[in-house]
Amino acid sequence: MKTKRVDAVAAYLFLSPFLILLGIFFVYATGRAVYFSFTDYDLFRPPNWVGLRNYVALFNDALFLSALRNSILFAVIVTVIQTFLALVMASVLNQKVRGIGFFRAAFYMPSITSSVVITLIFLWMFQRRGLINYLNETLQRSLPILLAFVLVVVAVQVAQVAWERRRSLPATWTDPALLVVSLLVAGGATWLLVTTGVLSPRDVPPVDFIWLQTRDTIPSGAPFWLAVPIPLAAIMIQNVFTTIPTFMLMYLAALQDVPKSHYEAASIDGANATQQFFRITIPSVAPVTFLVLTLSMIGTLQMFDQVAIFGDAAPLRSVVTLAYFVYNRMFPGAQTPEVGFAAAGAMFLAVLTLAVVLLQRRLVRSEGY
Amino acid sequence: MATPSSVTLTTREQRAFEHWQARRRWARAGLIYALMLLFAIVFVGPLMFAAISSLRTDPLEYPPSVVIPQLQPSNWSAAARLGLAGNGDRWFGGFAPGAVVPFEIAYFVPAGVDVVEPEVEVPRRRPGAGLGAVLAIEFAADYASVSALERRPDVPMTVDTDDGVIEGRKVGFAFTISYEGEGPEIDRLPLDVTAVVGMRYLESTLTASRLERRGRTASFNNVAPGVLGYVLRNYVRVFSEVRSPATRQSLFLAWIGNSFSYAAVRIVVTLLIASMAGYALARLRFRGRELIFMLVLFSQMVPLQVLFISNYLVLRDGIVTIGGFTLSSLWGYPGGMLNSLTGLVFVTALNAGAVFIMKQFFESIPREVEEAAMIDGASHWRRYWNVVLPMARPALGALTILTFQGAWNDFFWPFIVLTSPENVKTLPIGLLSFRNTYGAVGDWGLILAGAVMSAIPVIILFVVFQRYFMEGVSFGGGKE
Repeated sequence: MKTKRVDAVAAYLFLSPFLILLGIFFVYATGRAVYFSFTDYDLFRPPNWVGLRNYVALFNDALFLSALRNSILFAVIVTVIQTFLALVMASVLNQKVRGIGFFRAAFYMPSITSSVVITLIFLWMFQRRGLINYLNETLQRSLPILLAFVLVVVAVQVAQVAWERRRSLPATWTDPALLVVSLLVAGGATWLLVTTGVLSPRDVPPVDFIWLQTRDTIPSGAPFWLAVPIPLAAIMIQNVFTTIPTFMLMYLAALQDVPKSHYEAASIDGANATQQFFRITIPSVAPVTFLVLTLSMIGTLQMFDQVAIFGDAAPLRSVVTLAYFVYNRMFPGAQTPEVGFAAAGAMFLAVLTLAVVLLQRRLVRSEGY
Repeated sequence: MATPSSVTLTTREQRAFEHWQARRRWARAGLIYALMLLFAIVFVGPLMFAAISSLRTDPLEYPPSVVIPQLQPSNWSAAARLGLAGNGDRWFGGFAPGAVVPFEIAYFVPAGVDVVEPEVEVPRRRPGAGLGAVLAIEFAADYASVSALERRPDVPMTVDTDDGVIEGRKVGFAFTISYEGEGPEIDRLPLDVTAVVGMRYLESTLTASRLERRGRTASFNNVAPGVLGYVLRNYVRVFSEVRSPATRQSLFLAWIGNSFSYAAVRIVVTLLIASMAGYALARLRFRGRELIFMLVLFSQMVPLQVLFISNYLVLRDGIVTIGGFTLSSLWGYPGGMLNSLTGLVFVTALNAGAVFIMKQFFESIPREVEEAAMIDGASHWRRYWNVVLPMARPALGALTILTFQGAWNDFFWPFIVLTSPENVKTLPIGLLSFRNTYGAVGDWGLILAGAVMSAIPVIILFVVFQRYFMEGVSFGGGKE
């Protein structure tokens, strides 16, 4: 009995620094944010209770609606693209090979670097005469050459597979040994065609796509809720780039645990690579997919840094997210801060985030993972 | 039916088939490596390309390229020679009294065009823009004198253009720039050489920084740079140009210092608080334990934007209680803790993820190790400090590295807390003010150089302690 009490006293002493911080910076902070969301507080005058007025005003506020639209489009599009690409890349790489440590380090590089460094580099690449437009232009210029390369690869591969099958060898259309030969042949043939001048880069007008200082959307002229502002698309590209490696490596770890015999059995039954991907790979990594989807949704819904770093490089409406909306109303530059309004926006974001977490919990439980 | 010969044939076929399959395995491994290499290039590419472009005079120069003058060895040796001539310093160069800097420039002159001596001028050009431009500096133009041009023997040559081959000759000029009399030591010696229409710039002792006025003027930022002053020009500028207007102190150095102190203090605070709390949650039984643990989990789900409203006010005003007494006045910041590292550490010390990691780790240590100490009558504190904590070194190590990375890269809280003056900022926030100052005028060399430098510590840490980062990802899904 006595030791129990000593234990309890000791426990609270050990916990005291943490509990004090938790009390001030979490419990008190959350409580105060909830309270502010029902008031008209502006940082200077004492708050007055206004009931639900802030929440109603949110849905009449153009900036908030832009933020809501941007956040949802950003979260959904980025999550779908990066989850899908991460899975595809992981299943392509799913081989036990030596020296993966080196490559893993390389893949992690974008995700360990700070958001400011990555965003500054991308801002630079998205300039009008920057790397992205240059790559786009180069790609368009060399389209005939690429097309020729692909055609030769396909032709040589088909010819080889047909030949092997006639010799009754079980070659698949993506047979790796034959593919190596096809790639080498196609590379040589394209090089020959280019040096002899048969093939030459197309003449295309210089690509001068404006990524940042624009109010245009993709697709252009789409209804408000479906229009992705172009600067937001630039942030999407950046986010997919930095987050794919982390998720890809999570998938890779999960895929290495899928027994190889499943794939062998399926290929004996005549399932091709695509069927194997959808029938075996996707179901066996479903738990990881849930984790990846949740992490990705939470991360993207709270996107803030990139918007703050873009700053005046892009119009506010085109990049503002819910998280940045809260900051923007709290510190609106020359205007009066609208803390109550900001708090209501923050509550909205919190509820959205918690909904994603709870939804994931429920799905995981009902699927039995 | 089976004759001996057909049996050997089937084993031979068997062997051929195995061989056929083995070839596929090899080919597949080769393709996988090629793909991994491709992915690695894609993911490291932007960082590498930014690092290379940060050496360029103007990283926005079109087209983007990795073949740049700063990476040509001939320019390195020229930069060293010119640096020696200008200031006796082969690394950073400069322009000091008594200097005689020799320089040569060559033009292509088509047949039938008269050769006119180009005009050589040391211009009064301010270095860069933004913060650097407001500082009072000495101009080399006030002290430099250019000698008469000496024409080199012509060399016949032809040039291929879109309109066919043009006959002509290469015409070279040599001159010296000297610093006569007394005066201050100047850190750069810019140069403009303007030729008449028709003469085309070919080459010079040092490759021209840029061509202006439709290619007539070859402009040099510094013709006495030294090797580092030439190759790492933007990096040198980050330290030399970005200074506080009031104190002339280098802002970038201040930011680096702030980032290191922030990381160091945060590591100590996090390790102490998290290991104590984790120990109590893992080892001690007491009322309220479940509730506290629930709060730990819950606090990780609430967005920062909910918390920062109140937390900002706590730092500004303290916790207001009866009589206007404020908590922050207890530790000597009556004017609020905004714009101070103390405030920043205070508001980021709450790290539920770290508590979770330590709790998990302590639960994995067998209870028996504590029992001997318990029989000896050691207090809880001694059991924690002398017995359990030394065993937790791996977890503390991982936490140290992850906390360093988190603090070094931290954006949100420094962005909120550290706003002015410039020298209280940490690196990420400082880089952001770089962008605001220099991005607008298109001076990306400075921004990229700053970004690359600020990425280096974490990259080194990552290369050395890769294992801990991987654990961190499995602990917390990529976040601190």
